[in-house]
Amino acid sequence: MFSQLFASFGDILQTQYLVPLAIGTLAGLVGGVLPGVTITMTIIIVLPFTFGLDPLAGLAAMTGVYVGGESGGLVTSILLGIPGKPSAVATMFDGFPMARRGEPGRAIWLGTWASFLGGLLGALFLVGATVPLATFALQFGPWEYFSLFIFALSMVAGLTEQSLLKGLLAGAIGMIITVIGSDPIMAVGRFTFGSDFLRNGFQFLPVLIGVFAFAQIMTDLERMATAGTTRGVEAPSLAVSHVAVLWDILKRPFLLLWSTIIGLLIGVLPAIGGSAANVMAYDQAKKFSRHPEKFGTGIPEGIIASEASNNSNVAGSLVTIMAFGIPGDAVTAVMLGAMTIHGIQPGPLFMSQQPKVAYGLFAAYILAHPIMIVLQWLLAPVYLKIVRVPKAVLIPQVLVLCVIGAYALNNVMDNVYALLLFGVVGYGLVKLGFPLAPLILGVILGDQIEVNLVRALMTDADPWLFVTRPISGAMLGLAVASVVFALWQHRRQQQLPPAEADTDF
Amino acid sequence: MGLTRDGIGGLACLAGSLVLLWSSRDIPQPALVPIGPAFYPRIVLGMTAVLSAALLATDLGRRRPPTAPPRARVSYRLVVLTFLVFTLYVFVLPWLGYRVSTTLFVAALQATLDPPRRARDWGLVAVMAVVSMLVTYYLFERYLSVLLPRGRLTAF
Repeated sequence: MFSQLFASFGDILQTQYLVPLAIGTLAGLVGGVLPGVTITMTIIIVLPFTFGLDPLAGLAAMTGVYVGGESGGLVTSILLGIPGKPSAVATMFDGFPMARRGEPGRAIWLGTWASFLGGLLGALFLVGATVPLATFALQFGPWEYFSLFIFALSMVAGLTEQSLLKGLLAGAIGMIITVIGSDPIMAVGRFTFGSDFLRNGFQFLPVLIGVFAFAQIMTDLERMATAGTTRGVEAPSLAVSHVAVLWDILKRPFLLLWSTIIGLLIGVLPAIGGSAANVMAYDQAKKFSRHPEKFGTGIPEGIIASEASNNSNVAGSLVTIMAFGIPGDAVTAVMLGAMTIHGIQPGPLFMSQQPKVAYGLFAAYILAHPIMIVLQWLLAPVYLKIVRVPKAVLIPQVLVLCVIGAYALNNVMDNVYALLLFGVVGYGLVKLGFPLAPLILGVILGDQIEVNLVRALMTDADPWLFVTRPISGAMLGLAVASVVFALWQHRRQQQLPPAEADTDF
Repeated sequence: MGLTRDGIGGLACLAGSLVLLWSSRDIPQPALVPIGPAFYPRIVLGMTAVLSAALLATDLGRRRPPTAPPRARVSYRLVVLTFLVFTLYVFVLPWLGYRVSTTLFVAALQATLDPPRRARDWGLVAVMAVVSMLVTYYLFERYLSVLLPRGRLTAF
């Protein structure tokens, strides 16, 4: 395993892979810094650039975006008190007060080095756990896959911030999108109403791009007329002693380790995401602290916990997609789309059938961290200029790249029409308060759920096998448990005042 | 008793799922296989109908506070205009091709979102539109081998 990993380091260090990885990390950092531009949006923008690349180069670029984006968001949180992305909300709680106290450089580099260390600790789990989990998944038959996908969907639907009913309904809408067009088993047309456009069904990438990009952009536009600008903010000095900052982190090994573990566990569970990891790690750091009353006043513990967790969360998400083929969040959903474009199917056989890509992805993830540190150091003096790029300039460019991303999938305009259609649908669903993550997971897993359900019932017509087979039964049990937990959690949340934060759709 | 957005969402999903459930009768059933192509869609649509009805019922049964909580100020003008400009772009794209339509789209949307006041501002919008078209065109077509749409009217 390790010899293969070291060989992959050699591969990734070649220019053809290193350049996309560095550009992806840079794009992630810049996207993370821009308020309102989420990592999902950044990876959607980068997606069309990967079509013409070697599969590993494309995935390396996307891994760079993921790692860079998680680290870039902290800058805006700390310097402006605006979360650059949802997974940097908790970073702001102590980062912004520390910056206002006259230590912006210390705050930014505490966050950056905590991201670096948390990400690298997460890499140990990524490299060590993916193969055993994929081997475990090899025991799965159609019953187990069906139950696993139902578990993933119920978990995502249940753990969204909106109501459980809406989460489940959004997942069901996603599954309905997959039944339009030819059925995956006999290629019989369904719900086509005589239209050629519907006959081909919808590929999930135009749906995903349309839903997420438009939901984000249109919500930004709603606020654009009323929002304030960041003009007039003076560029502070970010000079700092890196040895002192690193010592600040390393003298708190338990905090770093525990926050990393929280990030990993949340990353492994489908679609909970970096924002939950960030806030939960902050909350845990506060609970374990000897001086919880100091949290929120600008102490290092708050920054270290939140940033170490959101970067290790990336490693957890990558484990889920590589071992089970289930995207842990919207970012890995786009990565899954990019993999399928290149004819790569992530899942239990991914590690054995595509070792070069799999270990290359590990190496890219690890190398993205030192690249992120170098780029963060280079970009630090210009961060406030990046933050001030007007949305009026940015939005047309993003939409053009969305069109290219959708069109270039098969060089047909139908995908661009689907992009527009699902842009409208996505925005409509957001306005009606539906969460988008379950919808996308429904679109991604819908076909697989159908194929495995039909395959299982054709092998043995006894439906009780879904419950009596141990792994399948356990998955369905967990699905029920996640719904019950969600009901309890929603009831509890209704009693708490709502928090104001940027929305990650 | 008025519906909130939950009720409207539930009603729309219920109506959609019932229409599709009714249309599923038109899906042909092959004679030789026990589980036909309509089997799974009916399960999903039935589940959707039940969830939608539950959402609608929850909304109808919910007690409303006497005064609605204050909502954040939002403006839909730019949203509507952006959708219009983008829709126009999507439908003009196959006729004028990537280069012409993208230049027009970038300029139009930028001018819509931040209306230029002086001649210099218009110049900047035009430069931005041309530069972004040229950069994306050469990057994708020449370096990344990604073909971009040709126009039926312009032939390029």
